[in-house]
Amino acid sequence: MSELPTYVLEREFDAPRELVWRTWTEADLLSHWYGPGVETVIHQLDVAPGGVWLNEMKWGETSNFERMEYIEVEPPARLVWLHSIANAEWEAAANPMMPDWPRVLLTTVTFAEKDGKTLLKLIWQPHNASPAELACFAAAMAGMDKGWVSGMDMLAEMLADMQS
Amino acid sequence: MVMQLSNSATAPKNLDAIFAALADPTRRAILTRLASGEAGVNELAEPFKMSQPAVSKHLKVLERAGLVERAIDKQRRPARLKAKPMAAAVSWLEDFREFWSSSFDQLDDLLETLKQADMKEPPNE
Repeated sequence: MSELPTYVLEREFDAPRELVWRTWTEADLLSHWYGPGVETVIHQLDVAPGGVWLNEMKWGETSNFERMEYIEVEPPARLVWLHSIANAEWEAAANPMMPDWPRVLLTTVTFAEKDGKTLLKLIWQPHNASPAELACFAAAMAGMDKGWVSGMDMLAEMLADMQS
Repeated sequence: MVMQLSNSATAPKNLDAIFAALADPTRRAILTRLASGEAGVNELAEPFKMSQPAVSKHLKVLERAGLVERAIDKQRRPARLKAKPMAAAVSWLEDFREFWSSSFDQLDDLLETLKQADMKEPPNE
């Protein structure tokens, strides 16, 4: 099998690992921070292998639904789940804006403690993805990582200004 | 996982085709070259050490995705970058990145609050 496209995001939090772990596994804490500037409603959260996190994000009249199914849970070090965009019936669905975006992303979060701080690592990989989904994800990740986005950002803005 | 906050109304329907076109490093390089101005197939072929037919093929993919247009009024048919679809693809990714960086900023604040609450409580035991 060829290597899967992978995206890794790292972030250090100035808090002990047990506390950071709680913010990812307790519904009232998780709904506090997950989702930027939107109202996050957690309809179900069962952080155990086979359990699900049913998440709704609301802004205005619109809602986005996501369905996560936990695969591995090792407190306070590691969480693995399958992450999908969902319809209002909590069934995995294609991204309306980008049908080739992988329907299911294998999401791994690791929590490492260092000097009272927590180094968090978030890893995404397409799960059971079609070739089109793999290509789409790989292109997007190539853009975010070190590539074309930084160069294109300014350029795209500049050209859009020129055209408008 | 990605929000459609900012541009669901204005985004082109063919983001898929755009990302498929961007999946190839040569095509990304061609776009980067076109960012500094229009160019004909000859000019594009040279730095990539590619045949003209190969470059033409890549240009066709980029054209179909709406990222590039070719002038029809000139012999050399220079290719030129189309900014808006490119901007849509970039902003889609920006939304993705923004989702997590903003969420993590909110998590920072929450952790700060929790730590302060912890300190006020008497220690367990």
